[in-house]
Amino acid sequence: MTDELGALTTIFTEFYYWITVVLMFLIHVGFCMYEVGASRYKHHQHTLMKNTMLIPLVTVTWFLFGWWIYWAFPTGPGLAPSIMNGSDALITDDSAFSAKFYVATSQLMAVNLGDHISGVFWAAFLLFSWTAASIVSGAIIERITTFAFGILAIAIGSVFWTIDAAWGWHFDGWMLKLLGYHDAYASGVIHAIAGGFALGVLVVLGPRIGKFTSSGEPRNIGPRNPWLVTIGLFLIYTGFWGFYAACNIPIFNLGPEYGMEGVTYFTATNIYVTPTTLSGITFNFLMSLSGGLLAGYVVSRGDPFWTYSSGLAGVICASAGNDLYHPIQSMIIGMIGVVIAYKMHYWVERKFKIDDAVGAVAVHGYAGFVGLVICGFVLNGYPSSGYSVGAMWDGSTYASINPLGMFIGAIIMFFVLGMFPGYVIARVLNGVGRLRIPREAEIAGLDYDIMEAAKDDEKSVASATR
Amino acid sequence: MATVNNWIDHLSASEVQGAIYPGVGSEGILVILGLIIWIGWHVITAKQEKEELEKLARQRRGPNDWKSNITDG
Repeated sequence: MTDELGALTTIFTEFYYWITVVLMFLIHVGFCMYEVGASRYKHHQHTLMKNTMLIPLVTVTWFLFGWWIYWAFPTGPGLAPSIMNGSDALITDDSAFSAKFYVATSQLMAVNLGDHISGVFWAAFLLFSWTAASIVSGAIIERITTFAFGILAIAIGSVFWTIDAAWGWHFDGWMLKLLGYHDAYASGVIHAIAGGFALGVLVVLGPRIGKFTSSGEPRNIGPRNPWLVTIGLFLIYTGFWGFYAACNIPIFNLGPEYGMEGVTYFTATNIYVTPTTLSGITFNFLMSLSGGLLAGYVVSRGDPFWTYSSGLAGVICASAGNDLYHPIQSMIIGMIGVVIAYKMHYWVERKFKIDDAVGAVAVHGYAGFVGLVICGFVLNGYPSSGYSVGAMWDGSTYASINPLGMFIGAIIMFFVLGMFPGYVIARVLNGVGRLRIPREAEIAGLDYDIMEAAKDDEKSVASATR
Repeated sequence: MATVNNWIDHLSASEVQGAIYPGVGSEGILVILGLIIWIGWHVITAKQEKEELEKLARQRRGPNDWKSNITDG
């Protein structure tokens, strides 16, 4: 960097993403607290370690291949040509933003004086990966092996969500071009897919012992520590602020980017490089959170567990279009998502005997799915990309946002890239006997031996006189 | 091993070399090393977990036996 203004812009952007990463770390702290609070005492420590260990597992694989997938797969491959090189093959050539630069052996994947952005951008996406895996983690507590969860976490965190991000979140993604897909703050690309993946795993994994009576009636296994759940969800809300900011590009000159001669227009943009404002999305974040809390309080009759979760579901439901909605629209959409997610949770539980321990499939999966569908109607006709007016995409124009495209997009996220792979991988793990812990261990409690050792230590220390 | 021995020389070059970590050019070996560690971790921990779960299952504890292990501080 040799000119002052360019250096300031670059370092501001580098610092901006770095801050979002630090904020988003709170999402994971929140998920850990939430899961431990929701689990029973005899499983606490294993529950915590399971969710904690996804951090290194997903991080290492995100470095080794996850980040490469994101940059290689926007074309499908084979579904729509890239605006960067005109080819519909995997993007691994010398064109700008090629996956070639983000392979693990690239010199840009390290301390490099010529690149101030790759690391912080990589980390921002990595934190999204942790979130996707952590969503799955909560649903399956108290009966899955840590080994199986590690494999599943890598699959959702470093493979499947990455593919959906390449398809529907990348400015060059085929879903924008062919379907008019729009998902600014990830109703689908993180939440619907992770909820769907969790559901696929739950179908194979089965319920916790005691969840259903012999006649099939569900029993409530409520959170054992509601205060930890409360703090956990507040931390997730807090981290979600960072997530919203991380989904934006803080400053961008759209004039030359769109090929508009002589036009200079600096703005913040969403992930698709279409304009929005940090100010506007702040309105919408808070209003959709409020809508979710209001609806959750009513529909659950003031149940704290569901009310807090509904705040999150409200934001998730409105997130697809929160770059453009009016705040009141965000609030109403958040409310609709919560009511549907809540009702769906109990209907699926009774009908299919699905034991989703923390309501993750509902809060993330159903609310995310509904949010995509609603976005298709409310933003019907908006351009899915600014590049449609330029010369960079010459195959045909990018499709506009539309209800059918968004519905198909929701199906792809929840079922095709979420539930189906989750089900298949869980079946394989189950087939080799590594998915579920032994029945006797589940009854005793995963922490039995740790607790017994702690008790022995305590006795030993208590009887000591020197 | 050092990629940079003198910052003044490094930054005043006509084309500044971006990568400054030790062992520039050995990225392939480092990635293979990372892969070995990653796979090895899975193998070791899978074995450990299997042994622990089997041991716990053999004890055939009741659903409330854990309560006798609660410490009181």
